Amino acid sequence: MMSDQKKSDKEGLKALRQQRKASIERARKAIKAQNQNVKAIREQMKSGGKTIPEIAAGAGLPTDQVLVYVASLKKYGMVIEGPKDGDYFKYELAPK
Amino acid sequence: MEPSRELNFDALVIGGGIAGLQAALDLADQNFKVAIVEKDATIGGKMIRLSKVFPTLDCASCITTPKMAASAHHENISIFTYCDLTSLKRDGQEIKADITQMPRYVDADKCIGCRQCEYGCPVYVPNHEEGNFNFRKAIYIPFSNAIPQIALMDVENCSLCGKCAKVCPTGAVDYFQQPEDFVIRAKTAVLATGFKLTPMDQKPQYGGGKIQNLISSLDMERLLAPHGPYQRVIRPSDGKEPDSIAYVQCAGSRDKTLGVPYCSRVCCMYAIKQAMLLSGALPLADITIYYMDIRAFGKGYEQFFQNAKAMGIEFVKAKIAKIEQADNQYVRLRYEDQEGNGGVVEREHDLVVMSLGMVPDWNPAGVCDVACDTDAFIKSTIPSLAPTVTSIEGVFAAGVAIGPKDIVDTIAEAGAAAMEASKYLNALENPKAA
Repeated sequence: MMSDQKKSDKEGLKALRQQRKASIERARKAIKAQNQNVKAIREQMKSGGKTIPEIAAGAGLPTDQVLVYVASLKKYGMVIEGPKDGDYFKYELAPK
Repeated sequence: MEPSRELNFDALVIGGGIAGLQAALDLADQNFKVAIVEKDATIGGKMIRLSKVFPTLDCASCITTPKMAASAHHENISIFTYCDLTSLKRDGQEIKADITQMPRYVDADKCIGCRQCEYGCPVYVPNHEEGNFNFRKAIYIPFSNAIPQIALMDVENCSLCGKCAKVCPTGAVDYFQQPEDFVIRAKTAVLATGFKLTPMDQKPQYGGGKIQNLISSLDMERLLAPHGPYQRVIRPSDGKEPDSIAYVQCAGSRDKTLGVPYCSRVCCMYAIKQAMLLSGALPLADITIYYMDIRAFGKGYEQFFQNAKAMGIEFVKAKIAKIEQADNQYVRLRYEDQEGNGGVVEREHDLVVMSLGMVPDWNPAGVCDVACDTDAFIKSTIPSLAPTVTSIEGVFAAGVAIGPKDIVDTIAEAGAAAMEASKYLNALENPKAA
């Protein structure tokens, strides 16, 4: 049987979801778009290290946006920086 | 909302940047009980966000972090972060501050700063701390050496998916946290509210904030910081390592059209510092500083400027008239050639840094009736003899809250403000000796 505390938290969260309906909707949309972008970027790196313009061209995303994603994926340990290729660095998926 | 509690201290310091921390430490070391109230989720102010300091090129973090830690661990200092000061006024013999503790949606007593919530959160949010060069999450710790190491949730970007609460090992996530009003009463106060930069989009001739690879000087500090967004200097538009970097001096100061007619005093030196650091990081890059005058007035500053010239940094005497986006994501600068053959010259660079002006980060209107100067900085009522004295008895000010100055002068002034506050406290205890 659900404890009183758990029941009250569940009801509280329900009320909070109602209260923050608009911002939650925005955040969900953002997550969906971001997940698609991350998937497209990771897909490009599956075949090995690539530069930002190469990833962007393959993923169909602007280069500045790709760099923000790659920098973030690097920060959270999902991407590593590889060797330099001309004026650009290559980025690759971090080993699991 | 009724205040939930009332706390008493000898001194209240508004602002947890380097000026506030220094003033608090100097007072606490004299055995006064001090409260620091900071609006951000961490203390450290602008200085902890810098790469290195001039003219010594010491690591900014290596200097600031010990001050932050010393304040956090001092038995006479209490730190209140993520707080909104709603009122600060004299109330009889005391200074009364009404403060709202903003909700972090994380129990500060339970959070151990492990960042499991941040790693688990599925929402990416532009990271203003890093010039929007990367993302943070909707629940996050501001940066790796933030003090306190307590997460906070950005509810505007939270989807309430519950992942953070699920992965938190201590059950610290609290979706129901509410703002809490409380009162601090103190016998004296030090205002150390710091500065912000003039906006990037203020000047239409400079592209109105829409030009790629045109960044602010504080953005460049983050690019140069070893723990910065890319951990190296690359062009934000596409990750290219820049061959050519330029600085536009007086991009937000000494310009009456922007309402900032004064000199911000530090831009020449930080541009030279950054140029020297860039020379080290990118030895093959050409670095140019476009300046109106070089103001290198402090101890060792002129030598620092001469060293930069000897390192091959190009100094061009010119006021940049126009900044435009050029092809291939280059930035085009247009100026009058004052020292060469004359005429209008256009040059393109991979990356351009605007040395923006300093303006106050706090407008006391409606919160505190401390007098301000025409430049909006807090007015020093005895500027020649006691520059930290303000229009309110027992309230002192330090650092860039009074006017633009560098870190050395800020620390010296914070010490002076602490001394004035200490003198004031001693006079209250022992009026005959005063």
